[in-house]
Amino acid sequence: MSEKTMEEKVEQATNSKNVSLPMSRVRLIMKSSPDVSCINQDALFLTTKATELFVQHLALSSYKNGSGKETNTLSYSDLANAAEETETFQFLTDILPKKILARDYLKSLEEMKKDDDSL
Amino acid sequence: MTFCSSFMDGDSSTTDTTQLGITGEYMTGGTYVLQTQDDDGDESFNDHEDGNGSKDYFREQDIYLPIANVARIMKNAIPQTGKIAKDAKECVQECVSEFISFMTSEASERCHQEKRKTINGEDILFAMSTLGFDMYVEPLKLYLQKFREAMKGEKGITPVTVSEGLGEELTDESFTGQLPAGLITADGQQQNVMVYTTSYQQIPGVQQIQFS
Repeated sequence: MSEKTMEEKVEQATNSKNVSLPMSRVRLIMKSSPDVSCINQDALFLTTKATELFVQHLALSSYKNGSGKETNTLSYSDLANAAEETETFQFLTDILPKKILARDYLKSLEEMKKDDDSL
Repeated sequence: MTFCSSFMDGDSSTTDTTQLGITGEYMTGGTYVLQTQDDDGDESFNDHEDGNGSKDYFREQDIYLPIANVARIMKNAIPQTGKIAKDAKECVQECVSEFISFMTSEASERCHQEKRKTINGEDILFAMSTLGFDMYVEPLKLYLQKFREAMKGEKGITPVTVSEGLGEELTDESFTGQLPAGLITADGQQQNVMVYTTSYQQIPGVQQIQFS
């Protein structure tokens, strides 16, 4: 473990710092939480790295469970299904509602309006 | 009303904003609005600008990570032959912000309980564990170790500068004002070409890219 060439060390260092997401933006999102004052560098790095793992995890889980067998495409509904079925992703159910057709939505709007008018 | 009908007829005049690839809001003062999606204002922030925008332009809950970066990570995670629908990418973008907020508020709570003001690495790892992401904890510890070692090896460079220099958005933020954010839309193929051309010019000393 301790015997490494210089090249290997450099490669490892580069990969280890390498985050594919902008940490400045991650910090911005973290700061938008209430009562958050200071975030130390380790915490920021860990959150950014964890977010990468999360994206991979969510994408792969949803793809595997989804209709990808025929279409080979990861779709919104694959994600919505993953949120419902996987315990780990259940915190996402509020922001991943199943979609409805526009005409159904417009219908329900009209009905709501009728209710208002009759009051 | 006159405008609406010419739009639907496919008017080929260059004042047609759909062909110019920008939303109506950028043209005359809001007499019409052409939007393919409701969150165009947020979209420009999310994909093309740094967090310099004042809070007047976006709601706090709409801060997202750049879609290009998110999409790339997704693509690398699924089998090579797989594809990703556009609305799935946007959706994961939102899920990501939710995930970050979720972790942060849990970590922040623990911090307050222990009467500390700064969220540290331990708080984050604890939050992961508590919220059902304990499978991430061990790999993250390793990554953190490597990160710390790499940081030590670079004395004199502020960690913040180094880490923020990496992993920035795929679109170069240092474009001069030639590219208003709204230009880059799904329809704007021409605009995409402009993006790449300009970024090459950013490389010092390189006048032209040789593809020989």
